[in-house]
Amino acid sequence: MDGYDWQVIPNNLQFLMHGLFTTFQLALVAISGGLLLGILVGMARLSSIRIIYYPATAFVNVMRSLPLILVIFWFYFLVPLMAGRPMGDFFSACVAFVVFEAAYFAEIVRAGIQSISTGQMQAAYSTGFNYRDTMRYIIIPQALRNMVPSLLTQAVVVFQDTSLAYVIGLKEFLRSASIVDAREMRSVELYAFVGAVYFLICFAMSKFSKKLEAKRGHA
Amino acid sequence: MLSYNFNWSIIWTAPYGQWMLEGLWVTIRLGLICWFIALALGIIIGTFRVTPFRPLRVFGAVYTEIFRDIPLLVQLFFWYFAAPSILPKSIEMWLYRGLPNSEFWIVVVGLSIYTSSRIAEHIRAGMQSISQDQYHAALSTGFTHFQTYRYIIIPYAVRIMMPPLTAECLTVFKNTALAMTVGVLETTFMSQQIEAYTFQGIEATTAASLIYMGISLSVVLIMGFVERRLAVPGLITRAGGR
Amino acid sequence: MIEMKNVSKWYGDFRVLDNISETIERGQVVVICGPSGSGKSTVLKCLNGLEKFQQGDILVDGVSLKDPSTDLIKLRQKMGMVFQRFELYPHLKVIDNITIAPVKVMKVPVKDAVKRAMKLLERVGIPEQADKYPGNLSGGQQQRVAIARALAMDPEIMLFDEPTSALDPEMIKEVLEVMIALAKSGMTMAVVTHEMGFAREVADEIIFMDEGRIIERGTDQTFFENPKTERAKDFLNKILF
Repeated sequence: MDGYDWQVIPNNLQFLMHGLFTTFQLALVAISGGLLLGILVGMARLSSIRIIYYPATAFVNVMRSLPLILVIFWFYFLVPLMAGRPMGDFFSACVAFVVFEAAYFAEIVRAGIQSISTGQMQAAYSTGFNYRDTMRYIIIPQALRNMVPSLLTQAVVVFQDTSLAYVIGLKEFLRSASIVDAREMRSVELYAFVGAVYFLICFAMSKFSKKLEAKRGHA
Repeated sequence: MLSYNFNWSIIWTAPYGQWMLEGLWVTIRLGLICWFIALALGIIIGTFRVTPFRPLRVFGAVYTEIFRDIPLLVQLFFWYFAAPSILPKSIEMWLYRGLPNSEFWIVVVGLSIYTSSRIAEHIRAGMQSISQDQYHAALSTGFTHFQTYRYIIIPYAVRIMMPPLTAECLTVFKNTALAMTVGVLETTFMSQQIEAYTFQGIEATTAASLIYMGISLSVVLIMGFVERRLAVPGLITRAGGR
Repeated sequence: MIEMKNVSKWYGDFRVLDNISETIERGQVVVICGPSGSGKSTVLKCLNGLEKFQQGDILVDGVSLKDPSTDLIKLRQKMGMVFQRFELYPHLKVIDNITIAPVKVMKVPVKDAVKRAMKLLERVGIPEQADKYPGNLSGGQQQRVAIARALAMDPEIMLFDEPTSALDPEMIKEVLEVMIALAKSGMTMAVVTHEMGFAREVADEIIFMDEGRIIERGTDQTFFENPKTERAKDFLNKILF
């Protein structure tokens, strides 16, 4: 190949940045939706009521054994079917990501709550707290603090996972780059750029997460 | 509800059923090859990160960080679309024209390197969790450093690392699905191919899902068996049993 | 005040508690001792319903624990418990550890709860630690806060589960002193411990357990000077070095 033309990036910067913005939007929905649903599922996994425990467990196990790409295709077919009309690829992607990532957040939540010793629960019970108050004032505040590093790591994973929305044509960052590549044939420059941007963002986020963890260790 | 005609028989009717089986075979081959290469590479890089030799440590750290902070799909695209053009023209030609199934082997390179960086992390964590005192105890009975590693440290570390390595093996098989984006005829690709021909997307995707669930179950069972064979009573409690 | 009648608890073949019968009168201090795994902690946790048992019954002031209509939560408000590992809430300050239950469970106004908590902290000797977090306190201090926390609910009986077993030797005394003062003030106490000095000082009755059964009972004089059973003699030999 003769010479690299890095101009292709500034020339198409607006288009690429629009793709990056879509990536951020999808990631935001996926992380917040996935976390909320994940908290519910995680707590369901700790329930002693069988009708709550078994579906939640089945859900988590199935989701964690499937590739995300397949789940994206699933919802790509399923969402318009259930809604009765086409809903657009961004919406389908959002549903797929929220459901998929919820299974992973659920495990983090479950582990976080289980990591609080039973002694804490017994101490709270022994002063007359009921289950709800024990969870609310004693267990969950501690569990959330413990979970933060894992939650941050998972958030970075979700951010990277959004690139898979490529397969349903969603114009996120990677797809935008590949559209430009189809036109300009500057694969090396474009994909190096995409890689570099992802690297900077994820590297910064994981450094930030490590810093948070170090600070917590002092508390 | 949009109208949709279910037709589950397409899963086993020829030629679609056969396509799925071919896809399954590709998935298994791809997964196994990448897993073992990644394991070998990952052990080397992971060990680099805990040696007292600084350049190796830095190399290991950079390697791990780069391949963990870029999405796998982006890496695959780079290997498939961009990397060949960096290579000398003759190699590039051979890759695109001469080598049969070049996309398969390019994915092998990309997925193995990605997975190896993750395995390196687990190796590093496992080795570092072994207390200094274990080393000292072994050395104090007259072992050399090499013997300490061989008889004490590595056997212990391998057992600690079984749970994360099992998870990583599962992940490798799931990640083979990404190969469909560059035209590897694996399970997910086949399921979407069937959809393109028959418009029975739900059935096809369900069939692919069942295949992946079957693979995951098999991996867990096999790794569980290996772990039990290696297990030392009272050493590690396996979390969750999954 | 508390009556245990033929209480038994088992897991499959393993008998944790075997036919435990005992009465604790108001104002009494009962010490339970015995080897590890004898069921001593389980007895204590059955008393306030933290552990369930299959056979027998426990009556607290006439209220049966086996009765499904019994409000265990209300019952636990009358009983305070102190744990081997202190179990202070690490995310709350000392003062909040003590006030959280009165405020949330008994709906005591915060100001009154804080006043009361400070009095309790003075009683256990560490009022100056009120605004610190448990992580900044020594083991002995944490355990004393745990005692104050249990007292904050104004219990009628205090249950102690090996309160000094996790403490460094220099800190055992400060906790025992608080417990002795508590006993002398007339509190009903059930204490699982190996601290025989404490038992000698304030125990009205000493129960020796092994393998889920009560092997021997006595006062501090009869038990220490003249253990009747071989098992008790053996145990005392081993721990009184």
